[in-house]
Amino acid sequence: MAKPKDKYKVPVLDGKISIPKIVPGATAYEHMIEAQKDDMEALGFPAKLQDGWKAKAIGVFKEILDNNKAVRDYMDICVRCGACTDKCQFFLGTADPNNMPVQRQELMRKVYRYYFTPSGFFKSLSNSQELTEEVLKDWYTYFWQCSECRRCSLYCPYGIDTAEITMAARQIMDSIGLGQKYTTEVIHKVFKIGNNIGIPPAALRNTLDDLEEEIEEEGGKGVKIPMDVEGAEVLLVPPSADFFAMPHMESLKGYAKVFHKAGISYTVSSYASEAGNFGKFIGSYKSTKEINKRIWDEARRLKVKRVIIGECGHAWRAAYNYSNTMNGPFDFLDSKYKQPTHICDFTLGLVKDGVIKLDPSANDDKVVTFHDSCNIARASRMGDFQGGQFTIPRELIKAAANHFVELREGTTKEKTYCCGAGGGLLTEEIMNVRIAGAMPRMQTVKEAVDNHGVNFYALICAICKTQFTKIFPLYGFDEEMVGGIHQLVSNAIVL
Amino acid sequence: MAPLNLTTAIFLLFTYGVGLIFVIGVVLRIYQYATTPQPVKIPLTPAPLTSGGAFARILGEVFFFKSLFRSNKPTWVFGYLFHISFFILIFMHFLRHFIYSNPLPWWYNIFVDIGIVCGIIMVLSLFLLLMRRVVIERVKFISLFADYLILILLMLIGLAGLSLNFVLSPAALTTVDNQLDPYMNGLLNFQFTNIPSNPLFLIHYTLVMLLIAYIPFSKVMHFVGIFFSPTRIMADNPEEERYYRPNAKDLSI
Repeated sequence: MAKPKDKYKVPVLDGKISIPKIVPGATAYEHMIEAQKDDMEALGFPAKLQDGWKAKAIGVFKEILDNNKAVRDYMDICVRCGACTDKCQFFLGTADPNNMPVQRQELMRKVYRYYFTPSGFFKSLSNSQELTEEVLKDWYTYFWQCSECRRCSLYCPYGIDTAEITMAARQIMDSIGLGQKYTTEVIHKVFKIGNNIGIPPAALRNTLDDLEEEIEEEGGKGVKIPMDVEGAEVLLVPPSADFFAMPHMESLKGYAKVFHKAGISYTVSSYASEAGNFGKFIGSYKSTKEINKRIWDEARRLKVKRVIIGECGHAWRAAYNYSNTMNGPFDFLDSKYKQPTHICDFTLGLVKDGVIKLDPSANDDKVVTFHDSCNIARASRMGDFQGGQFTIPRELIKAAANHFVELREGTTKEKTYCCGAGGGLLTEEIMNVRIAGAMPRMQTVKEAVDNHGVNFYALICAICKTQFTKIFPLYGFDEEMVGGIHQLVSNAIVL
Repeated sequence: MAPLNLTTAIFLLFTYGVGLIFVIGVVLRIYQYATTPQPVKIPLTPAPLTSGGAFARILGEVFFFKSLFRSNKPTWVFGYLFHISFFILIFMHFLRHFIYSNPLPWWYNIFVDIGIVCGIIMVLSLFLLLMRRVVIERVKFISLFADYLILILLMLIGLAGLSLNFVLSPAALTTVDNQLDPYMNGLLNFQFTNIPSNPLFLIHYTLVMLLIAYIPFSKVMHFVGIFFSPTRIMADNPEEERYYRPNAKDLSI
């Protein structure tokens, strides 16, 4: 259960990211709340552990090995060189050795050796281990302290991706009835209602009406946020947090103003009201595909020409990387455009073409910095060239604000640290892990605030926004600093 | 032709057995890696946009250990020195077969000296890699028996090989050299001759055979696995070119 705030262990910031001395078992007691019966059953998983779970788990493990090249390959080829050991924000923050990527993988690899390699025969020498209840407990603890951010994979000489191994482990655990409440609940909501938060269509329309009013009060006359409009040019799919959470809503206002000013008709959808895809977090191909399919079904139904995705990290990865494979091809959409397009790519294009004008002096009260979100930086792309996911958001920020500084070299672009809450960790019960995981990033924030007077922390990920809004005050920073790029655009756009 | 002695008979069986294990083991692994479907695109971005570019990326990893260079400089130096010297030595062992003629070419001694230098570099870098595992707390924690085993096995191979040059008299070494060529030819064309009987040579040879037999079951398979690593070998073009594997199951992504 969530602990009271004064019990949180918040590290003191000294601006340094140092490698801690290992403390075995440091976060062994930080557990996720287990999934509820309804949610598990709705996703086709058993409600809880049943007799024969071990044989079933090994069966699923075997199937994954036979059907997933990444897992198959990565089980064998790690040489334990240790390059990844000081790269994971959760190890740097918690000092728990099981949070070193290689050691997290070892939790699965030792079971792999026992069941799937001849060396399982020489048990003690080959470090193989039967899948006991104790091992399963370790899996549940530590595969739920990984945010699937891929920072380790960047540094691995073979590209071994702990995210893939974490996803496989979660898939195995789910299939024997050991699920996590937060992700399964969220996926169930998407299937039932259409979005992670569970806002039904009428309530969504109300929220959008309120937002339209707010925009009007702020001087944006006539800016609309249409919903379920057939024949609109664009289907806009933001993460559902953009509809109701702060500071996410500020970015939604930005999108609305951009479409309004550009004169491009668009619509959001009450059926596909979620860009986020938690199916990916639990490694479930089936759920990921189902959630993703809603977007493309809706694009067909509403007869739009193109699909644009809002500011969200893993949502963009799922939409960009998986859509075409899982639910393509998209020959019913206009082939002139990338399907889907990222909102930043879209907006920057309009700025460059002179369709909309931004006045950066509107943000002169801000010194802006930008946090590359892991799933955008290391798992997807924007635009037509390698690294577009780095340049496009930065160009857009610079078009919308005059004062921009980079975070510390070596912690930006593909080397970025995770916010500490991605991959299904954005839940209260492991707040201490989230705080610890954010530590490396917070050290660089402190540096940026102290040295450059940064007062706006620009993001393009709904999870990052929620996490930092929560974490900033704990570390002694103002939560108002956190915001989206389209919040800057919203301020700067000349209507 | 002299009749074969018992030692040679044993070593012949041993060598063919090891060769069989190695070839079958590695081929099976390659088959496994190559035929297992990858359900979705997972290149680690920023990644090349074409498959040619992605292959070049893999070559960058194979020849320069680019990712390791990014993550840890000392490990890169030790690891790179080891791999380079090891590969030069393997290459020179094959090459030696073609240049060891009568009379010897005038540069043969230089050739041998280069080999000795590589051998020393190899053993030293292995020692440093071993020290890493003993001294650095994190690396010590993650190290398994197999990690020490392979380092020590390689070091022993290197030391035994070097000892042939340092411990044996030039005459004894020449005897080994003279017997080795026909023995190796015999392995290929089945005209068997006796294996050099020098114990130091036999130790070196045995250790090498053990290493080769161990490879398919060990982490040494990284030399194959790297070419199949989806985060590195995949091009970043999911929108431009539909990636679809009909044999991929609705399972874990």
